[in-house]
Amino acid sequence: MQAQSHHDDLAHQDGLAHDDDQDRAASVSAAVTIGKSANEVRSLWLDPATLPRIMEPMARITPRADHTADWEMDAPLGRTLHWRTRRPEETDRLGWTTVDGADVPNTGTLILRPAPGDRGTEVTLKLRFDPPGGLLGSGIARLFHVVPREMAMKALYNFRALALTGEVPTTEPQPAARNGGMDK
Amino acid sequence: MRALCWNGVNDLRVETVADPEILNPKDVILKVGLSTTCGSDLHLIDGLIPTMREGDVLGHEFMGEVVEVGSEVTKVKRGDRVVVPSFVSCGECFHCAQEQYSLCDTSHPKPELAEPILGYPTAGIYGYSHAFGGYSGAHAEYVRVPFADVDCFIVPEDVSDETALFISDAAPTGYMGADFCNIQQGDVIAVWGCGGVGLMAQQSAKIMGAEFVIAIDRYPERLAMAEALGAVAIDYTKVDVVEMLKDLTGGRGPDACIDAVGMEAGGRGIQQAYDRVKQALYLETDRGYALRQAMMACRKGGTLSVLGVYGLMDKFPMGMIINKGLTVRAAQQHGQAYVPRLLEHAQRGELTPAAMATHHFSLEDGPKGYDMFKHKTDGCVRAVFKP
Ligand SMILES: NC(=O)c1ccc[n+]([C@@H]2O[C@H](COP(=O)([O-])OP(=O)(O)OC[C@H]3O[C@@H](n4cnc5c(N)ncnc54)[C@H](O)[C@@H]3O)[C@@H](O)[C@H]2O)c1
Ligand SMILES: [Zn+2]
Ligand SMILES: [Zn+2]
Repeated sequence: MQAQSHHDDLAHQDGLAHDDDQDRAASVSAAVTIGKSANEVRSLWLDPATLPRIMEPMARITPRADHTADWEMDAPLGRTLHWRTRRPEETDRLGWTTVDGADVPNTGTLILRPAPGDRGTEVTLKLRFDPPGGLLGSGIARLFHVVPREMAMKALYNFRALALTGEVPTTEPQPAARNGGMDK
Repeated sequence: MRALCWNGVNDLRVETVADPEILNPKDVILKVGLSTTCGSDLHLIDGLIPTMREGDVLGHEFMGEVVEVGSEVTKVKRGDRVVVPSFVSCGECFHCAQEQYSLCDTSHPKPELAEPILGYPTAGIYGYSHAFGGYSGAHAEYVRVPFADVDCFIVPEDVSDETALFISDAAPTGYMGADFCNIQQGDVIAVWGCGGVGLMAQQSAKIMGAEFVIAIDRYPERLAMAEALGAVAIDYTKVDVVEMLKDLTGGRGPDACIDAVGMEAGGRGIQQAYDRVKQALYLETDRGYALRQAMMACRKGGTLSVLGVYGLMDKFPMGMIINKGLTVRAAQQHGQAYVPRLLEHAQRGELTPAAMATHHFSLEDGPKGYDMFKHKTDGCVRAVFKP
């Protein structure tokens, strides 16, 4: 039954992976509903400018001509992690996978389903990180400055905002009595 | 520019900060005309709402003049005198489409801070902590306003700056609270709290045709203001409020009860002692005296309309709601749904919020203004700042 498999799909999205690979990998997912058709959502996703905007400032992404993109993410102890991603080969799939040589091999999968009534499209983003053993100190949560579940959730929040308003909400830079008078 | 900044519990300072800039194409920059204190700010000043950062600019109730306009703003123009509700709302999402503007799905720049607390992020608010978006507030010379075509409302010439100021927050909140009561002929409405929000709820209930309105507080000058708006005033320190409300309603109880007090409620007796101890130990941020009393007083099948702001209250008397069949309505204000109506009520002289501007200060005297507002010194109902 479809509802059942959907549920199974999402069963391990509570921010942590299964016990057997607790410290090795993280599979997380988040979902939002966007009041637009699947086609509109899909073409916004495929716009090379979109991912860099919705992932900012969690990751700095530079799209390249051949449907690949270079990612940079800040990590604790002042280090920066790098990888290159490509789109899935199957044209009906949305997301990315890293190519060989990634500091942290990972995949992102975007799934679109019609929402009930006139609510638009349900959009699920699944992220999976497979850090090589040596990189892991105390588990996946310490790997980046942002935990993977937050990353998926915030990227989708921003994606919905971009789809509905053409903007990603931001407060930077803005006035504040710190850092020389502003947040940046 | 100069701005009134939060620097810790009970530590406000006027400091020099950078000017705001247009960040998104639907933004405008407002030169603040007037801004004012709100009871909600006291939760921040008292340290009851986490995720404030030292140096945050406070202020979410304001009006002013548009001085700079983003490239995709089409309705609002430079020079317009406008009032802005305290929530940032896009006008495009599922919730905005249902006029649930404070639940906007797209205006929160830090949703990852809100989701763990509430399950889903609310709209962003000006000057109201990072879990509510971290937007820089309006106690400043200038403020950035996103989604200007949706969130800026032009103030008609015959509405004064002071009247417009309160149509940013206190008036739409109070009006929404009365709207929640679905007032029918013969209905009696009781309102706990005679601050800006409570007074506006009382006046709104009259506008909506309430038979009469009962106002509850302890400060004589606030109770006098409620009486001037046509309410029957009760000092909760002098009488048994629930008994008094029964007396006034032939034993039925008020048809709807509005809580315009929130988590700093004052009270009497054991329950209050219990609440205060827990609040002091940070086991509980809320003192729910007024809310509990409203639930007790409300007639069976009546409506409890909650405007007061609460944290995550434990010991909530759910049995009162189920056994009495109460309808509970609550929200942060959906201002954009009400501002046009409120401006019309103000033009017709039916809504008179300007009287709440009891004390005026320059922005430089902001900390003093907040101190008087917090301690209700000299009958202060709202301290108004002019940058
Ligand atoms: N829902 C919203 O969008 C929204 C908007 C603005 C303010 N608020 C909230 O509304 C509440 C009131 O705001 P305000 O600006 O009028 O605050 P305020 O501090 O000016 O007024 C609160 C009043 O409640 C009175 N009070 C305290 N304990 C009481 C009790 N037990 N019974 C009766 N009255 C009691 C106080 O004496 C005071 O006059 C606050 O909790 C504030 O956070 C909510
Ligand atoms: Zn307020
Ligand atoms: Zn919205």
